[in-house]
Amino acid sequence: MALINVAAREIHCKIVYYGPGMGGKTTNLQYIHSQIPQTTKTDLLSIATETERTLFFDFLPLDLGKVRGFQTRFHLYTVPGQVLYDRTRVAVLSGADGVVFVADSRRDKLEENVNSLKELARNVQKMGKRFQDFPLVLQYNKRDLPNALSVPIMDKYLNPLHWTRCEASATTGAGVFDTLRVISKLVIGKL
Amino acid sequence: MAFDPQLTSMIVPLEEVARIEDVLTRLVDETGGNHSLLLDKSGQVIASRGDANRQDTTALGALIAGTFASSREVAKLLREKEFKMLFQQGVRENLFIALIGDQWILTIIFNKETHIGLVKVLVKKASEELLGVLGRVRQNRRMRDDVLGGNFRTSMEDTIDLLFRD
Repeated sequence: MALINVAAREIHCKIVYYGPGMGGKTTNLQYIHSQIPQTTKTDLLSIATETERTLFFDFLPLDLGKVRGFQTRFHLYTVPGQVLYDRTRVAVLSGADGVVFVADSRRDKLEENVNSLKELARNVQKMGKRFQDFPLVLQYNKRDLPNALSVPIMDKYLNPLHWTRCEASATTGAGVFDTLRVISKLVIGKL
Repeated sequence: MAFDPQLTSMIVPLEEVARIEDVLTRLVDETGGNHSLLLDKSGQVIASRGDANRQDTTALGALIAGTFASSREVAKLLREKEFKMLFQQGVRENLFIALIGDQWILTIIFNKETHIGLVKVLVKKASEELLGVLGRVRQNRRMRDDVLGGNFRTSMEDTIDLLFRD
């Protein structure tokens, strides 16, 4: 849950990038880290294996500066995507204010996307929250690949609740900031 | 009134932050520790006292909360309710972490000059006080607009548009 510290005049919000393995969650954070102005960012912290797969989480704190006298900070996290790490995902999701679900557009990844989204719904409910009211943005990543599924087909399987969705290609950065803008506004709207 | 999990923000008022800082300062003084932090379980730092040169509290907060959240899942696998305390021992520095009412995490960093037994006793005392603060913060029914002002959301959206773009 977002934290409003009246004494320090600070607001902290937590956004988690969730989705199946190798879908581009870490790449989203790396792109944001590479593009954001120096005054806004700090180091990107990664707990990864030697082969660069996320083991626990990546963490990128963004400092948006003062808004109406309140220092506002967004903390971005990723979860490890591999099916095996469900418990770790629950741990990282703890206290999240919003989620970006990074779906892999490749044709052979549809089932993994669907399963991961179902798992997310379960995990949000375990936190005592109603999934349908939880701030969520869908990102259809890897749109640049030739075997990407069409958007209407992805919508049919992944977007029954009509969340805002963004098309992206995280390696080139296309759609990455669109996604971040949408989820940030959703989270702020729920403060 | 029971705590509503659907609430999306926790507002920590001025006077309660002052109380939390008092508790942390006392804990550092009485244990002879180096630094003490109070975190939300989401990893956000609520207050931090001790070594003024510490620049890495944000990353520390995220990692410690991660450790605690991970230990909670380990507890479930062991059919244990939860681990209320964690101790990490280093060559120079040690870390003692305690859960406050399922929402906050109290951390103290201390070196080998301080005995772990003393830390445990004083953390327990501090935890009880912080539990009282947490209870009052949860009862706090102040509306967001009273604290942030009505135009906050619009200003925030403008800032987001300005910063989060290619």
